[in-house]
Amino acid sequence: MKALALALSLFCAAAWGEGPAIRLFGWSDYLVQEVLDRFTEETGIAVNYTSYDSNESMYAKLKLLDGGGYDLAIPSTYFIDKMRKEGMLHSLDKNQLPNYKNLDPRQLDKPFDPGNQYSIPYIWGTSGIGVDTAKFKLQDVQAWADLWKPMFAGRLLLPNDMREVFHIALHILGFSGNSKDPAQIRSAYELLKKLLPNIRLFNSDAADVLFVTGEADAGVIWNGAAHRIQLEEPSFQYVCPKEGVILWMDSLVIPKNSPHAELAHRLIDFLLRPDIARLNSEKVGSATPNLEAIKLLDPKLRGDAVVYPPNDIVSKGEYQTDVGAAITIYTEYWEKLKAE
Amino acid sequence: MERLKSIYLVLLFGFLYLPMAVLILYSFNASKYGTHWDSFTLGWYRSLATDASLIGAATHSLLVGCLAASMACFIGTLGAVGIYRYRFKGRIVLQGLLYVTLMSPEIVMAVSLLVLFIALHMELGFCTLLLSHTTFCLPFVTVTVLSRLDGFDRHLIEAAADLGAGEWQAMRQIVLPLAMPAIAAGWLLSFTLSLDDVVVSFFVTGPEFEVLPLKIYSMVRLGVKPEVNALAALLFAVSLLVVSGAQYLLQRKPK
Amino acid sequence: MRQGNFFRTSVILLLSVWLALFVLIPNLLVLAASFLGRDESGFINLSPGLGNYLRLFDSVYLRVFAHSLWLALLTTLACLGLGYPFAYFLAQFRTSVRPVLLTLVIIPFWTNSLVRTYAIRSLLAARGLLNNTLIALGLIEEPVRLLYTGSAVLIGMVYILLPFMILPLYNAIEKLDHRLLEAAADLGAGRWRRFWQVTLPLTLPGVIAGSLLVFMPALGLFFIADVLGGSRDLLVGNLLKDQFLDARDWPFGAAASMALTGLLFLFLAAYAYSLERFAVEDRP
Repeated sequence: MKALALALSLFCAAAWGEGPAIRLFGWSDYLVQEVLDRFTEETGIAVNYTSYDSNESMYAKLKLLDGGGYDLAIPSTYFIDKMRKEGMLHSLDKNQLPNYKNLDPRQLDKPFDPGNQYSIPYIWGTSGIGVDTAKFKLQDVQAWADLWKPMFAGRLLLPNDMREVFHIALHILGFSGNSKDPAQIRSAYELLKKLLPNIRLFNSDAADVLFVTGEADAGVIWNGAAHRIQLEEPSFQYVCPKEGVILWMDSLVIPKNSPHAELAHRLIDFLLRPDIARLNSEKVGSATPNLEAIKLLDPKLRGDAVVYPPNDIVSKGEYQTDVGAAITIYTEYWEKLKAE
Repeated sequence: MERLKSIYLVLLFGFLYLPMAVLILYSFNASKYGTHWDSFTLGWYRSLATDASLIGAATHSLLVGCLAASMACFIGTLGAVGIYRYRFKGRIVLQGLLYVTLMSPEIVMAVSLLVLFIALHMELGFCTLLLSHTTFCLPFVTVTVLSRLDGFDRHLIEAAADLGAGEWQAMRQIVLPLAMPAIAAGWLLSFTLSLDDVVVSFFVTGPEFEVLPLKIYSMVRLGVKPEVNALAALLFAVSLLVVSGAQYLLQRKPK
Repeated sequence: MRQGNFFRTSVILLLSVWLALFVLIPNLLVLAASFLGRDESGFINLSPGLGNYLRLFDSVYLRVFAHSLWLALLTTLACLGLGYPFAYFLAQFRTSVRPVLLTLVIIPFWTNSLVRTYAIRSLLAARGLLNNTLIALGLIEEPVRLLYTGSAVLIGMVYILLPFMILPLYNAIEKLDHRLLEAAADLGAGRWRRFWQVTLPLTLPGVIAGSLLVFMPALGLFFIADVLGGSRDLLVGNLLKDQFLDARDWPFGAAASMALTGLLFLFLAAYAYSLERFAVEDRP
């Protein structure tokens, strides 16, 4: 009995005796452990990293926790708009963020968060097509519409991300990826239904691992993952589809009831430091909006069209925006699609 | 025929053990994606040992497992004694509720508990997790103890009562010692269930209180992580030790 | 006697109150929620109706339910097919070896189920052991796609749930009165006839218990479909998880949960009925 009591008290000490830790809620593989370890080393503050695989599940979890629990999240642009309007975010104190000045002014003060009151741009990039050229010819996949070719039967990897998948179909049909028109969304669904036989799996957690381990050999992928796969598998190629890529930008936000908002500010400022932003961009494989960091980049990476897409690609791309109440239409068709 | 039987047994044991054996073997493989055999390493174990958040989650799991199993044993044993000894209104309903709880899919329980906690504006974390785990362990303990008590001579307790022993005394000196093996089994089962649970924990805990199965879930979702192999090997070793230890002790007991 | 009354009241109350608080009330809340409407920024909105239940009858969701039931049934049958002979042979071993073999069955059951799911995943991977072996043997040239298929999910389910089938089966078979079999043999019944007419009916309670222990969890284990099915194989468990934790349509999720509970009651009723029948037959 005594031994049990002792063991219990030891557990308690271990469970509650931890120092302050920032609870970070981010996309998987969005921050390299190396960066977080350096932060802990320099400040003594531990960072606990939990990952999500879609904006929707991140949003649902934060709703459930009423903005508490996590200290930092990394939603995409259109979710920031929504969360800001619903009062789910903590307003940022720029005085605590001296490194804010390093950011590219062209990436600031966007309509989804005027004056960056709630969000700090973190990384941005494109979604395109990834293909293993050992298995398929590069000229066979030049456009989104090529994914519907019968040669890909049962082979494609798609992100487990509703808006992303619908964006592709809407794009092919010539509509905006942010359509709120039920008829357009419906026709996108009809088109996606025809893609189903080609889809092997939906996954946005581990696209890189799936390609490297040979589970996937073609599919829709983020440029960061594409960059990392190329380092392992030289035969892998990233294609920016003819119709135009999907552009995305994810920003750092502090949830409304974050238990350690002040520490979260310190982590944000740390991530804005040029050397850290550079390290992160190199390891994650997506572009940083941090001008000072870009100056420090290896010129090879700076010139890599996968990681830093050239202007003509960017100008043809489209960002996702909040679709308001139409989101329920998307959700319903998405469920139908996956249950098909 | 005898040979066929042995082959069948070996094949099925192979099915049960081969996947685990492969994991354990690959936990010593230096290859990052595990696509081929690289070289021998203990590195993955080392990186487990230094992963503070993983160790924290494991500690949380052990804590909740111990507490939930103990609470379930306390409430469940007393409840079983109540059901066994007394005839009261609603006894059938209570038993029915126990069996329904026992049989209902975890996901249904997870959903209902989440709705309860949100309706009560409770913060998701240690408390909600402990309450939930106690709840799903409770019927296992009650049913185990009840079935053990059912095998006894009811007169024993009544005789004790006749001799002037109070309810508590009869409970402490007669019922508890008789039921002890069942209580111990119930505790061990509860502890394992708690440590293994993904479904309920996924719904009812918050970021302040991460537990091991959820940590493993997120590692597994992220694809091939050699650390998972090392962790799997460790967990397997633990269950091997616990089960063989328990069986050995049971065997040694004089018949 | 006062003390006795107090003890009696408190032990009964403790369990009753706990179950009422954490089983009964939560389920009533879910039931209530299932009749309400969805709210985009909150959780529910007070617009009562049967809409959520009607929506369940949409062909898509019917298919999810049918598919889950089908998969659970397949899992149960596979476990039964693999487990029955196993338990049967096990029970024929010498009494000294049996506990060792039984321990070997129990060990996987005590090992974390996610870890075991992950083990199956590594086995079936494109560059996993199975494919590598087949390639080395020259049976195939390209890796066969095993992962992220319906069969992968089935194999995972069977792997996780098999011990739940074997243990009750073994208990039933071990208790079998061999004199009955000898008597049947004396009366000239052949091996198969003895099995069909004596062994199987007498072990049927074990079969039913094992089947239930496999079937029920098989309906809810969303993580197996997640890890091995690549989010293509939507089961009731995944549907519930998605409604509550992704799509945030709690009322609809609640309705789906209620439908699952309804199905459960149906099966339990069937179980109770069959138990009663066997209890009558069992009585000497």
